[in-house]
Amino acid sequence: MKCKGNSLGRRSFMQVGFLGGLGLSLSDYFRMKKVQADQKFYESVEGPAKSVIFIYLPGGCAHQETWDPKPFAPIEYRGPMNSIETAVPGTRLNETMVKTSKVTDKIAICRSMTHGEAAHERGTHNMFTGYRPSPALQFPSMGSVVAHEFGPRHNLPPYVCIPNQPNVFAGTGYLSSSYAGFSLGSDPASGSFQVRDLKLPGGVDDNRFGKRRKMLTAVNDYFASKEKADSLDAVDTFYDRAYSLISSEKARDAFDINKEDPALRDKYGRNTAGARMLLARRLVEAGTRFVTLTYGGWDMHNNIEGSIKGQVPALDQGFAALIEDLEQRGMLESTLVCIASEFGRTPKINANAGRDHWPKVFSVVMAGGGTKPGIIYGKSNATASEPEEDALTVEDWATTIYNRIGIVADKELMAPGDRPIEIVNGGKVRQELIV
Amino acid sequence: MTATKAILRSLLLFTFIFTTAATSAAELVEVSVYPQNIDLTSSRDRQRLIVQAKFADGITEDITEQATITNGNAEVLRQEGCLFYPQGDGETTVNIEYQGKTLQVPAKVQNSAVTPKVSFSLDVMPVFMKANCNTGSCHGAARGKDGFLLSLYGFDTRGDYNNITRDFSSRRINLAFPEDSLLLTKGSGAVPHTGGTRFRKGDELYETVHEWLQDGANMDQGEIPTVTKVDIYPPGAVLNGEGAQQKISVRAYYSDGTDRDVTHLAYFSSNNDNSAVVEQDGIVTAQNRGEAFIMARFDTHTVGTQFIVLPKNLQFTWNEVPENNYIDTHMHNKFKKLRIIPSELCTDEEFIRRVSLDVTGRLPTVEEYNTFLADTDPKKRDKLVDELLSRKEFVELWVMKWAELLTIRTTNQISYKSMLLYYTWLQERVANNVPINVMVQELLGSNGGTFANAATNYYQNETNTLKVAENVAQVFMGMRIQCAQCHNHPFDRWTMDDYYSFAAFFSQIGRKRGEDPREIIVYNSGSGEVRHPVGNRVMAPKFLGGETPDVAGKDRRQIVANWLASDENPFFAQNLSNIVWAHFFGKGIIQEVDDVRISNPPVNKELLDALAQKLTEYKYDFKKLVRDICTSRTYQLSTKTNETNEKDTTNFSHATLRRMRAEVLLDSITQVTTTSNKFPGLPSGARAVQIANGNTSTYFLTTFGRAKRETVCSCEVKMEPNLSQALHMLNGDTVNSKIAQGGLVATRLGEEVPHEKIIEEIYVRCLTRKPTEKELTNLMELVGQEENKQQALEDVFWALLNSREFVFNH
Repeated sequence: MKCKGNSLGRRSFMQVGFLGGLGLSLSDYFRMKKVQADQKFYESVEGPAKSVIFIYLPGGCAHQETWDPKPFAPIEYRGPMNSIETAVPGTRLNETMVKTSKVTDKIAICRSMTHGEAAHERGTHNMFTGYRPSPALQFPSMGSVVAHEFGPRHNLPPYVCIPNQPNVFAGTGYLSSSYAGFSLGSDPASGSFQVRDLKLPGGVDDNRFGKRRKMLTAVNDYFASKEKADSLDAVDTFYDRAYSLISSEKARDAFDINKEDPALRDKYGRNTAGARMLLARRLVEAGTRFVTLTYGGWDMHNNIEGSIKGQVPALDQGFAALIEDLEQRGMLESTLVCIASEFGRTPKINANAGRDHWPKVFSVVMAGGGTKPGIIYGKSNATASEPEEDALTVEDWATTIYNRIGIVADKELMAPGDRPIEIVNGGKVRQELIV
Repeated sequence: MTATKAILRSLLLFTFIFTTAATSAAELVEVSVYPQNIDLTSSRDRQRLIVQAKFADGITEDITEQATITNGNAEVLRQEGCLFYPQGDGETTVNIEYQGKTLQVPAKVQNSAVTPKVSFSLDVMPVFMKANCNTGSCHGAARGKDGFLLSLYGFDTRGDYNNITRDFSSRRINLAFPEDSLLLTKGSGAVPHTGGTRFRKGDELYETVHEWLQDGANMDQGEIPTVTKVDIYPPGAVLNGEGAQQKISVRAYYSDGTDRDVTHLAYFSSNNDNSAVVEQDGIVTAQNRGEAFIMARFDTHTVGTQFIVLPKNLQFTWNEVPENNYIDTHMHNKFKKLRIIPSELCTDEEFIRRVSLDVTGRLPTVEEYNTFLADTDPKKRDKLVDELLSRKEFVELWVMKWAELLTIRTTNQISYKSMLLYYTWLQERVANNVPINVMVQELLGSNGGTFANAATNYYQNETNTLKVAENVAQVFMGMRIQCAQCHNHPFDRWTMDDYYSFAAFFSQIGRKRGEDPREIIVYNSGSGEVRHPVGNRVMAPKFLGGETPDVAGKDRRQIVANWLASDENPFFAQNLSNIVWAHFFGKGIIQEVDDVRISNPPVNKELLDALAQKLTEYKYDFKKLVRDICTSRTYQLSTKTNETNEKDTTNFSHATLRRMRAEVLLDSITQVTTTSNKFPGLPSGARAVQIANGNTSTYFLTTFGRAKRETVCSCEVKMEPNLSQALHMLNGDTVNSKIAQGGLVATRLGEEVPHEKIIEEIYVRCLTRKPTEKELTNLMELVGQEENKQQALEDVFWALLNSREFVFNH
């Protein structure tokens, strides 16, 4: 007896026979088609926020002593510090935030940020990637995703970290390293500040550099004719980007904080907060899409009053100056400024007069770039220990930021092993935060 | 069926047979049948047979439809094509005949009158996997989907039973009208379902669930047999041209001694749809030339079979290629199957550069270059390998690699002194050629102070029990078992049980302060257990993929150490061989080296097995393995490809460009410019390779991707280019200052060496070759235009250090 098999076998045979007629050269095409069909795809089109300045306060900034004071809470919750009225009646900030209190009508303060990660690295992971940490996959930071979606603008690197990539989660994750942030390697607040290797070395002028490049071409030609490899092309890409950066004075100038008006430098403050923010503004003005900068150390387990008085004034001055400066230049509408930290701090003052880690509720700030000015979004409860209204999840927060930049966060990018992964998994745009 | 259709159909059938009969012109050498017996144990049981032909040219063909399959006794077996069902108890034989070759398949039928009830664990749970209900993107997501939660890939049978029967009662399941249960109406698409139609009324999947509901939706009582093994057939196939097909079948073996044809319940996938696609009915169809691993998942088991797809009737002649050793034999066997001819041997110039960088992390000196090129001994390459292996730089390079795997660096828990002692401990072992298994046993079983017995720092580096277990599995077995912390591993065999029972080996690590506040004493505390998060059971320590040893009253870590670093653990030697291989080829036989899993198969299993076997025979002296690798022809291939291997990126049929790693690149720049570096904790002139602490770095090393040793992941060493690297090479102080500091050009000009000769020397120093005539002419012309000859020649030096040819090993 013959085994007849099933009809499907023949049908697929016919189909494949037909495709076979198209020839093998289409293999890549089919593969591409397949991948596209399996991936959620949305075209990224520049949104209202043409650039982002992401100000990160490492260590876990106490929300009670900054954006969410609780003047009516019992003293052990309220803490030792007072609060002040601001430009928006009824919105109070910590007593040290004198300058920022005058720009609250231009910014959105979210007092209901929440996630469950009380360890520094896990909380940091959340805020930089929009994902909870996974043991199986490294997620890309928002800056790298922006670089991936839009690429460079006006010869400037799309993603810059001031002064350096602050932590591993600000990296490219599963994306190619070509989307990594460009680390300045030097602090703009320092008197000797200079971005490494941007300028030709001493004794090499444009003329000599031109000759060097001719020699380099003469040497590279032989190898290029002999070898073909993706890794080789990648090196070429970065050499080309380096050439365009070196040769464009305008692009290089963006990194030169000394080109800035001294009066404005004073206004921002000549310290790590002010100088970094001012440089960030120069970079986004010149074409950089995403700048990540860090300021200070906020892990205030001891003596919160002293620590806040040490850290906040510079942040207060720099941030207020940044908002006003952007507005005067007409850039606030197209520049999204965010302030974030990995978590807030415990509702009660601890035995060392400090506060410990508290991820259940804390505050973040968004300003410009198509976000709603002059609002308080969400609310923490009376002791600043739980969100009371509009709890803002990490996913929703990241999705809202991506939305302003013009990226649909539901889009899938390809992780190793042909795994399509959403930029943010399941986030929603918070309409109340955007205009 | 209308008459026309019937005619058309028979015509098609005719064409089909005609075509397939003509597929392989080569001689038929073997006919095989899978599985090799039929064992039916209930009225529900069945078995499918698959017949495969193998031809002299290596091509295989599914001849199940062409072979004559005869049932030996219709009172025992009922035959439907190649499917056999029980008819009555007894034994018989199924005979298979194809082109004069015959095979017998013994068949046995028992309990043919017994129809067991549909079991929730054995029958219904597999439906959720086959129909894709419990994947991470559907109901298997952590919070379920649309209000219905299943455990990911079915790791929690009892939990799933509760969610189905107790949640959303009388809607999700409706025992009065089983076919109205949402479980069926949603799954079959009768009501709107986000996940679409997963099965249809009348399907076996549908009917299984339906019958279970009709029976009262009960949980199984008593002991349920578990799946002990799953086989996939055929074990491999070489398909001739796009469209060629092969049916696969899957058989599961249970703890009660029975087996079951689960082809209809296994979930099929291909790791390369571009070369072979598999439908859920188990039919594999060849696409474009290449290799694909076809996997079947059933229960917690994933099994795979290797498919090779060749262009139809590809003409190929294998010209005998010399074989230096067993590595080449295994490689060539694979190349023959793939119809690939490996590249030619690389030149002597390429070889000395490649092997010097790989074995010692140094470029050859001008003298070494001249001596080697002038040597006329046909064995000179082997001689060179032996010579390089005896150098101390070989030891230094591997100490660095091990230091990465052991994450040697200072942390809040590990003082500088501890770190240095730990590094010294490692250095002594590698330098004295202590067999790796002994070293690893010493490390994992270590007890004592972090100063007194520095190996104990391993347990200071990571103090979380689960993380320790994950790290051990990743570094010493190459497996990432992290996934199984929360659910059964989706792409591998590891279950949560495996994970937690392996972690239990590391649950009794005691730590206390030593006399010196910087010292920690690691000891066996003798208490502490690991519990399974589902059900909170205490897990008895069990080797990963091995047995459950008696640990009562013993140091659990010493028991796991002695098993892990031994021949009994099949993954240990294999993993080490793969790590060593990857160093010399830039890519593992399994890639990434620390991502060994069933769904990531080795590109050449026979080779990997052979390397592991050799390493065991060499008593874990990996230097001997390095010698085998470097003297193989495969290692010495040119990067230049031919028509047959230009598309190959995985099978090592030609050499590939590999960028030098950060430390080696800095050491090389330092070497060719005759300068030196000063790193913290090391004397001036020491090499970057020798830096003990993962936390010690320089701008150059960080920018070029030196591992910080924060994790055990092989991904810490970054080879990717970035903007900062390009800027630093062009404008930075490393290249520019070193050329000036070394003063090589000035010295040679002082010695009145002609410009051509200076350029030639820089070429040999940097690229281990002399400039081509064209290069020399071009460069001499550019130098000639300049007043300042020293500056111009130093610019040539600069150009060479910035060249792609310099930064890559090729």
